[in-house]
Amino acid sequence: MPFQFANVLIFSATAVLFVFGSLVAGRFLRPDAPNREKSMIYECGEKPIGQAWFNFNPRFYLIALVFVIFEVEIAFMFPVAAVYKSFIERGEGLLAFFEIALFVGILAVGLAYVWAMGDLEWVKGLKQDVLAQLREKQAAPPAEKKAA
Amino acid sequence: MNNIHSLRFFWPESVLTVAVLAMLVQDLLVRRSPRRVGLLTIGALFWLALTALATWRTPWGNFPIFGGLLVHDPLRIFFAWLFLAAALLTVVIVPRSKEISSARLGEFFALLFALLLGMYLMASAADLLLIYLSIETVSLVSYVLTGFQRGRRRANEAALKYVIYGGVASGIMLYGISILYGLFGTTRVAGEGGIGAQLADVTSRLFLAHAFGGQPAAQLALVVAVVFLLAGVGYKIAAVPFHMWSPDVYEGAPTPFTAFLSVGPKAAGFAVAIRFFFAAFERQLPGGGYAQVGDLPWPAIIGIISAISMTLGNLTAIVQSNVKRLLAYSSIAHAGYLLMGLAAASTAGVQSILIYLIIYVLMNVGAFLVVIAVSRETGGEDIKDFRGLGTRAPIAALALVIFLFSLTGIPPFAGFIGKYLIFAAVVQRGGFWNVLLAVIGVLNSAISLFYYARLIKAMYLEEAIDQRPFRVPAVYTGVLVALAVPNSFLIFYWTPLVRWAAAAFGGSPSS
Amino acid sequence: MAEAVLFYLFAAGVLAGGSQVVLRRNPIYGAVSLVGCFFFLAGIYVLLSAHLIAILQVLVYAGAVMVLFVFVIMLLNLKEEELGELRFTFWKVVGLVAVLATAAVIAWRALGPAYPSTGPARDNAILLAAEGFGGVKAVGRTLYLAAVLPFELTSLLLLVAIVAAVVVAKGKI
Repeated sequence: MPFQFANVLIFSATAVLFVFGSLVAGRFLRPDAPNREKSMIYECGEKPIGQAWFNFNPRFYLIALVFVIFEVEIAFMFPVAAVYKSFIERGEGLLAFFEIALFVGILAVGLAYVWAMGDLEWVKGLKQDVLAQLREKQAAPPAEKKAA
Repeated sequence: MNNIHSLRFFWPESVLTVAVLAMLVQDLLVRRSPRRVGLLTIGALFWLALTALATWRTPWGNFPIFGGLLVHDPLRIFFAWLFLAAALLTVVIVPRSKEISSARLGEFFALLFALLLGMYLMASAADLLLIYLSIETVSLVSYVLTGFQRGRRRANEAALKYVIYGGVASGIMLYGISILYGLFGTTRVAGEGGIGAQLADVTSRLFLAHAFGGQPAAQLALVVAVVFLLAGVGYKIAAVPFHMWSPDVYEGAPTPFTAFLSVGPKAAGFAVAIRFFFAAFERQLPGGGYAQVGDLPWPAIIGIISAISMTLGNLTAIVQSNVKRLLAYSSIAHAGYLLMGLAAASTAGVQSILIYLIIYVLMNVGAFLVVIAVSRETGGEDIKDFRGLGTRAPIAALALVIFLFSLTGIPPFAGFIGKYLIFAAVVQRGGFWNVLLAVIGVLNSAISLFYYARLIKAMYLEEAIDQRPFRVPAVYTGVLVALAVPNSFLIFYWTPLVRWAAAAFGGSPSS
Repeated sequence: MAEAVLFYLFAAGVLAGGSQVVLRRNPIYGAVSLVGCFFFLAGIYVLLSAHLIAILQVLVYAGAVMVLFVFVIMLLNLKEEELGELRFTFWKVVGLVAVLATAAVIAWRALGPAYPSTGPARDNAILLAAEGFGGVKAVGRTLYLAAVLPFELTSLLLLVAIVAAVVVAKGKI
């Protein structure tokens, strides 16, 4: 096992060295004659528009958050899938299945909740507006109004 | 005991898990209904009742379950009832509060049940992994509920501060846990092969003392690890120096949740501390007393934290003008008083903590309930908003006076019983430092009277601009009376408390 | 020997990355340093024969969690002038000295000679390492037998996290 990880280590060390090595070598070998067009940011041949740093659409945030949570779920499920066969051989397959089912079931409620609340919708539809109105009636501060 | 057989003793937690899911589903189902507040409250009460039934039906015993991850013992059941009482009060208070909008009540209840589950597990965790996981569950939910009122700047600030301090505290705690694991090669606190057993075992104790290159280094590592672990626990109970979050969080959180936060997680933190220290570093003597193992000076560490907590909490409370902040500092001071019982490192000390916690729930939730009732009407939580409360809402004002005197620990009120028992337990241990600790405690009680009296003065001696009387919701009046009565009359008959605490810790399991 | 060299290499990387996270004024640079820190940390996990954790460290932390961090930073999009000046106050110096002193005491006195070269803890560690400890299968077996309760509790924790994300983030989006 450690040997396989040594491969990974050598691989990543080579990768890092290759990138930095070629950049450093280039720094010394290339002729240094910049002009405006050359110094422009390279965006696959297109002319760059605006800055690279701009406000992301906050809709990404909730999706990313839910994604991270489900990725952690995968991380927990993965080791189990690896040994599930050995559980079956020992006659404990049903128990293990129940354990996974419980784990996934609890998270499925979470998914259903997010879904039913309309948080997975990219374009918040009319249904959302009804909910938002309801919420605003409940003495929400006016700052939230622009949200919907 | 293996996992499947352990389920018999795991009913309350199982019910709570189902309750979390059920509340979420119910929230989705009744979302459009005009009667959703009532329906959701009934649902929450139903699940609380079912949890109570499961807790009540759990067979009595004292043994590890889930292969030693949890311990099933009377102490766990004791704390379970305490948490249930706090949760019940919150569920009753929340629907009439203006701070939690009715559209989001379902989410609130679901998260509250998750919090309750975390506290249940904290009260029975006997493994460092589970201690950490349960504390983290409680913390995560607390962060969210603190920032529940999204639009409010204060709520956002409080939640953010809570998350950052909480992250630091659990990081430190994890470091302590990793050192402990490195020293003992196990995460079990109690039971066979656990940290307690290894420390109590003479050969491994000698090993600890000598085999590490003949140095006291292992001892130092142990002290460092325990102090780091205390960071996580101290954070939950809001003891100095891990108290910084509490004034901001208490102020920014919706008040019904503040009331819960000030009693529930604090009690759960004490459950963890009691179990950890008594399982790992104490050995029960045949006579029922305890002897320390591992030469760890933990009572001294706790004693110092206790003295600083109560002094700092009380002194800072004097200058507060916001009542929620004032009560936050007062609750830091109370963490100090409670830690005194732990510093006594005796059966009597722990029993006095348990009794004090019951009384603390009664008086602190009551005090916060009056704050809710007042801010509902006046829109503010400053001392000036309490002016003239004696004429505007006489019952609430009288109840608050009772709660505040009880918090001070003045004789006819229940708080006195708790403080008396704790001081007695500390003095009983004898020695200069213990007596000094008790003296500091008494002096602090005197200081606390000063700021509690400021509030009472505002209520009865100062004139309000708006003198119209206002109506406190009937539910609140009922709860206030229900809390004020035991606070006033418990002093005449408190044997049940003592008997209950004795059964929970150090007593015979049959009673 | 090789292990020790690698450990110090990785540890230096972790410290360098970690300190950059704290010291950099620009949060994006901080986030990228954190990715580097996570990679070196994964290396240390491999040395501890926690192979699965090492892989997850790269996949989940250096991957997904960091993406989320960068999202949040870009969401706020702090302008250069909003970041403020880097100032050295008296309390920062006090804090630095306190941190260094604590770290020195722990590293020098408490940890160095404290960990046993023989004894039950060491024996346990060797015994565990022999059975493919830390690999995917070993972790899977542990999760499903000894640690099934924490495993299920984690799913509830994740559920709470989902609801929490919705509670905190919604309404603004």
